[in-house]
Parts: sequence; structure tokens; C-alpha cells
Amino acid sequence: MKVLVVYCHPVPESFCASVKSTTVEALRKAGHEVDLLDLYEEDFNPVMPVEERRIYNSMTSGEQCAYPEHVARLMSAEGIIFVYPTWWYGMPAMLKGWLDRVWIPGVAFNISAEGGVITSNLRHIKRLGVITMCGAPMWWSYVVGHPGKRTILRGVRQLINLKAKSFFLAHYLMDVSTEQSRADYLGKVQAKVAKF
Amino acid sequence: MRVLVLHAHPVAESYNGALFRHICENLTKAGHQVDACDLYAEGFDPVLTQQERLDYHDLVKNIMPVAGHVDRVMKADALVLCYPVWNFGMPAIMKGYLDRVFLPGISFKLEAGKVKPNLQHIKKVAVVTSYGATPLRAFLAGNPPKRFAMRTLRYLCKPGASFSYQALYDMNRVSLEKRNQFLSRVGDLMARF
Repeated sequence: MKVLVVYCHPVPESFCASVKSTTVEALRKAGHEVDLLDLYEEDFNPVMPVEERRIYNSMTSGEQCAYPEHVARLMSAEGIIFVYPTWWYGMPAMLKGWLDRVWIPGVAFNISAEGGVITSNLRHIKRLGVITMCGAPMWWSYVVGHPGKRTILRGVRQLINLKAKSFFLAHYLMDVSTEQSRADYLGKVQAKVAKF
Repeated sequence: MRVLVLHAHPVAESYNGALFRHICENLTKAGHQVDACDLYAEGFDPVLTQQERLDYHDLVKNIMPVAGHVDRVMKADALVLCYPVWNFGMPAIMKGYLDRVFLPGISFKLEAGKVKPNLQHIKKVAVVTSYGATPLRAFLAGNPPKRFAMRTLRYLCKPGASFSYQALYDMNRVSLEKRNQFLSRVGDLMARF
């Protein structure tokens, strides 16, 4: 399967970077074709500019996207895995901006001209994974409703294949993580991704 | 009260832009001191840099790149957020404001790995937003932006702080009448803020 790995962390020596490498290796070992998109490395600009917003609702194709190459990669993916740190219970601004600017009408979904009804356009994506590191403990993340998890696993998910299989794998309490907890987590990532 | 109004929409003449101006006008009329922060107009950069991430837990260095914004948050008695919901979350520019300005030592304190809320000076919060999604679609997605506002943001502020979440759904189809109704509802709320 062709898997798009969307990675977003500013520090190349971070634990998140190791998690990304583990993910990519495990996917390759399992026979998948990996397309790695490193948003910080690409210096992706997450701020939707005014002229883009003005035509947003009338967009009908990926050519109107400022990142047509990203559109092509999204359209040819059969699976997608997001690897990012959870900041303020959600994805980093850069990753959120990637959804804002690339998952646009004519690409991720269509808005019907007559009724304004949204129909999905990414049914070719049959697998979805989220791998993230949270500062908060698990119980607290659930108390606050895990908004970041919901944005992807329930929001974004409405746009991909309805029968898509998905997983969410988090390392909680990152600020008091130990060498052991991090090693254990990398093991879990490997095992999870190997079955993707 | 000194009210910090945070706004995130690229198009000034958009409905969200109208909400922002209406909020500021009504707060001013009611005698509040308004600090209007239009993130797009101010050219706010939402990307947390490598250096900022490395200095994140250094309580002296971490505020340096955003000292002006930190100062405005610390001086505020109340917060109003006005933004559209895009893809079941806030626009990147608003999310990045949280990433870069809501720092340890400012909006929360980290003690032995545990988060303690630190915006005890904020006594009132309102979130005003519009969704392309229908209420049903937002509900099915678990309404993440609402959860963020009602749970996380609320937790950071003074316990018992008054909190209001005003949302207009189904923006692509809603009638002019409904939009006007919502605008006046928000105006009334601000007049009584």
C-alpha cells in the first residue's frame, strides 16, 4: 500500500523524530511504499492567505491549491499516518494549516453549488493512523475530550473511506517520560505500524 | 474590564470579520477597555520555531519572541475569541497563538510534570465562532473546537469564571435572517459582558 506519513515537529533531534523514523522503517519492512512529508523541513506556511479564502467555497480542483504537489501526494495515498506532538490538546499550527490549505474543496471534499452540501472525495484512503506525544496524562486527555484526537479520527475521518481502519497511539505524560517508557513506546509504534 | 479580543479570519469583509467588529463596538459601548487583536492584520506567525521549542520550558527565554502578546494576555481581565471553525478546529493562525503565547509560566505552570492553571486573572470568557458543518456533522465529529473551549480554556481561567460558547452552524447554507439574528445575539451578549 502507498502510505503518506505526515510529520510535524520543529526539532530534528526530538523524540518525535525518532518515532517518525521508526514508523517509516516499520512501514517499509511491512512492504508498504512510504511517502514522507516533513512539514517543518519544507517550511510549510500554514496561514491561509486572504485571496485563497476568498475563492475557497468555489474551489473545484487541486490546481487552486498553493501546494499542488501535496495534493497529488494526498490523492495517490491509500493510507495516511500523522506523526506529531500534541500541543494544547491538538495538532501543531503547522499541521492544522496543512489541513486548512491542502484538504480543500475539490480535493478532500466537494461543496455542491446548489445546496452547499459537503460530499467526501478521499474514499481511496483506506487506512488512517495517529501517532502523537502528549504532555498530559491519559485520564486528563479524556476529561478534556481529546479534541486533537477527535479532529482527526472523527473530523478528518468523515472525508476518507467509510470503512477505513484507524488507530490512535499516544505516549502520554511526555514531560516525565523515562528512557524505558520511550523505548516501550517505540516498540508499540513498531508493532502497530507493522500491522497497518 | 480590560477585554482582549482575539480574531482570526483573513477576509476583513467576511461574516466573521463583521462579528469581530460588532464584538469590539459593543464591548466599547458597554464601557470596557478593548484590546482588539486581529491576528491576520497584525501578521502573527503561528509557527513555533525550533529555538522556541528548545527554550519552551525556560521561563525567562520562552516569552522573548512573543513578549508583546504575553503582556496583553497578562493585562486582560477577560477574553473573547472570534474565529471560524475550519476542518473541525481553529484556523492555524489561532492554534499557533496558543502554541506560541500560552506558554509555561504564562497560561499554566508545570510542577513535577503536572499542569497547574495560571490564568486566574481572567474572569470572563466568550468564544464566538461559525461552522461550515451542520450541527449533526459537528456532533458526529465530537465537536473538538467546542471541547477545547469549554474544557481546556475554561480550566485555565479563574475557577467559576463565566463562560459562553456562541456558534453559528451550517454557514454555507444559513439564511441572511439567521446570520443577522446571530450577529445581534452576539452584540447583546457583549453589551451585557
